[in-house]
Amino acid sequence: MINIKKIILIFFFLLFFGCSPKKNDPNRIVIWHQMRIDERVILEEHLKKYMEIHPDIKVEALYKETETLRSGYIIAAIAGQGPDLVYGPSDQIGPFQVMNIILPLEDLFPKDYLDKFNPKALTYYKGHLYQIADKLGNHLALVYNKKLINKPPETDEELIEIGKKITIDKNGDNQPDVYGLVWNYTEPFFYIPFYTGFGGWVLNDNNEPTLDNEANINGLKFIQDLRDKYKIVPREADYNIADMLFKEGKAGMIINGDWSWASYQKAGIDIGVAPLPKIKSTGLYCAPMVSPKGYSINSNIDKEKLSKVIDLLYFLLDVEQQYYTAKELNVIPTRKEVFKYEDIKNNEIMKNSLLQIERGKPMPVVPELRAIWDAMRPNYQAVLNGEKTPQQAAKDMQWLAIKKINEMNE
Amino acid sequence: MISEKLKKNIFIYLLLTPAFIVLIGVVFYPFIYNIVISFSNMNLRHIKDWQIIGFRQYYKVFFESSQPDFYVIFIKTIIWTVVNVFFHVTIGVALALILNQKIKGRSIYRMLLILPWAIPQYVVALTWRGMFSYEYGAINLIIQKYLNLPGVEWLKNPTEAFLACILTNVWLGFPFMMVIALGGLQSIPNELYEAADIDGAKWWQKVKNITLPLLKPVMIPAITLGIVWTFNNLNIVWLVSNGGEPSDQTHILVSFVYKAAFNLYRYGYAAALSVVIFIILLLFSLKFMNKTKVTEKIY
Repeated sequence: MINIKKIILIFFFLLFFGCSPKKNDPNRIVIWHQMRIDERVILEEHLKKYMEIHPDIKVEALYKETETLRSGYIIAAIAGQGPDLVYGPSDQIGPFQVMNIILPLEDLFPKDYLDKFNPKALTYYKGHLYQIADKLGNHLALVYNKKLINKPPETDEELIEIGKKITIDKNGDNQPDVYGLVWNYTEPFFYIPFYTGFGGWVLNDNNEPTLDNEANINGLKFIQDLRDKYKIVPREADYNIADMLFKEGKAGMIINGDWSWASYQKAGIDIGVAPLPKIKSTGLYCAPMVSPKGYSINSNIDKEKLSKVIDLLYFLLDVEQQYYTAKELNVIPTRKEVFKYEDIKNNEIMKNSLLQIERGKPMPVVPELRAIWDAMRPNYQAVLNGEKTPQQAAKDMQWLAIKKINEMNE
Repeated sequence: MISEKLKKNIFIYLLLTPAFIVLIGVVFYPFIYNIVISFSNMNLRHIKDWQIIGFRQYYKVFFESSQPDFYVIFIKTIIWTVVNVFFHVTIGVALALILNQKIKGRSIYRMLLILPWAIPQYVVALTWRGMFSYEYGAINLIIQKYLNLPGVEWLKNPTEAFLACILTNVWLGFPFMMVIALGGLQSIPNELYEAADIDGAKWWQKVKNITLPLLKPVMIPAITLGIVWTFNNLNIVWLVSNGGEPSDQTHILVSFVYKAAFNLYRYGYAAALSVVIFIILLLFSLKFMNKTKVTEKIY
């Protein structure tokens, strides 16, 4: 009988003490981010440097894919857990703010410090600052293969003209071997530049969808024509196919974001980056959505840890760190001072990228944007399938967006 | 007073407790929680302050028009499940019968055939998605070059995209059934075949009267599992069709739930829909197990 008692004791001892969670360690800072691999490497370098300066602090950076990060963070933060810092594009601020799971930052940093940033890097929502970015952009631009194209197109007409010239069927099998233009054109985010080029925008000031209009109809028609009438884009292209074709030199131009440019250089393509063309009939430039990527602080953080996290942020957002990242990855830094460096100021890709950002439109941070994408995607694809006319699709996009926003907000 | 039996078994119960506690944490608690929020209005605007609102979310699942429509997705899910499991079992059992013969290089074939099962689903799904590409995919190249037929726009049209998902999942699913069937075949006593040989039974008679009936107790639980898994197989549909493309017409119920919960933050609605899926699968499994009398002993 003694044996059984002993066993019971040992068992409960193991159960309760062996499995007890590690106490919240104030010297351990966790970051969740969605940085791609080359950005991750640089972040790790920065963190290593930081931990060398502060040997008592341990910083752990955990990668999660954008959507997983978003849903995972919501679930964790609502349960009172989650990382201390969450890093991602600015459009996640909307839902996070509505759910009250990130801290307002304007009182945590002095004003003169915040003034050192490009204003586009500071994401305000409902009057409070919720994110400070270390990279600007996340924007689409026109990337061209210098071997195939001398001068990038400046208007839609030139785009078509150059596209037609490059699209060639070498072996006569009725399938071009080189395309003028490729991009992930079935995804609405990649259609936005043309929608704006024809004069449209997704939301009005009251965050109501604005999709049923001439601009959308003309934009949809334009994409359809690029494929069916001018035949300068492949019949089917998703992100990976477009990316692969460009990397293999089988496409003259690609519309892709700043995250991809370094990979084209690595693939041995001599690239140029140009702002997206102007639509001649409207006189407007194709304007991509621009969104900063940066850090927000979990609202569950305790006071003791907060000061340490702020100190880490000062380090990560420092000019030196940003200069190094910009040089390595061709991404636009957010601290104004970085532009004092000659090699940043004179970098051609960065110059054009910055021009594209100026012509771009800030991505809305409101949660309604989710519903807009979900309403645009099926109808946009229905136009490309030939199931719907652009007129019908524009109408249905608007109807579906309103329905989804209502469902989301009920 | 603790009964004598309990006293005798106390050690066993103790050994079971850790597993049971883990089960409570990872299965029972989330399950109950899911049922609770299926009766609530939990969504983007009511994430912490949600309230119980009764059956309203269930009403929405069945009677409110959704985009895409619930009943259409439900029928698609049934087609998806039946077609997939049918081919998993037929191909799996057929291959098992072949591999159970004494053929040269049997272990090599067996290893090759299990391969699809050993590759991570994500890799399989994305590779197949690439193979279904209209201009550059392996499948169309074969169709056009060797069969001289026009290429199929697999990922652009709803029916073809759904077919592409099914093809991928069939390829991915048969090895499991094959392994189970192979195990079942090897446990059938050889004496039965010898006796049948003496009686002059033909190959097909042996299969029909010995192999298949004796495989049944092994295959029925595997088929039930296969149905539940296939019904709930989010990965393949989501990745091959790129989240329901084209036009949200390549959904099955789980991918639809996933979209509702994580794309539009409709947690209450998604919870109600997943309870509906659970009940469908529970009723089906009970009925199926009962009908096939799988729990009865065969020998």
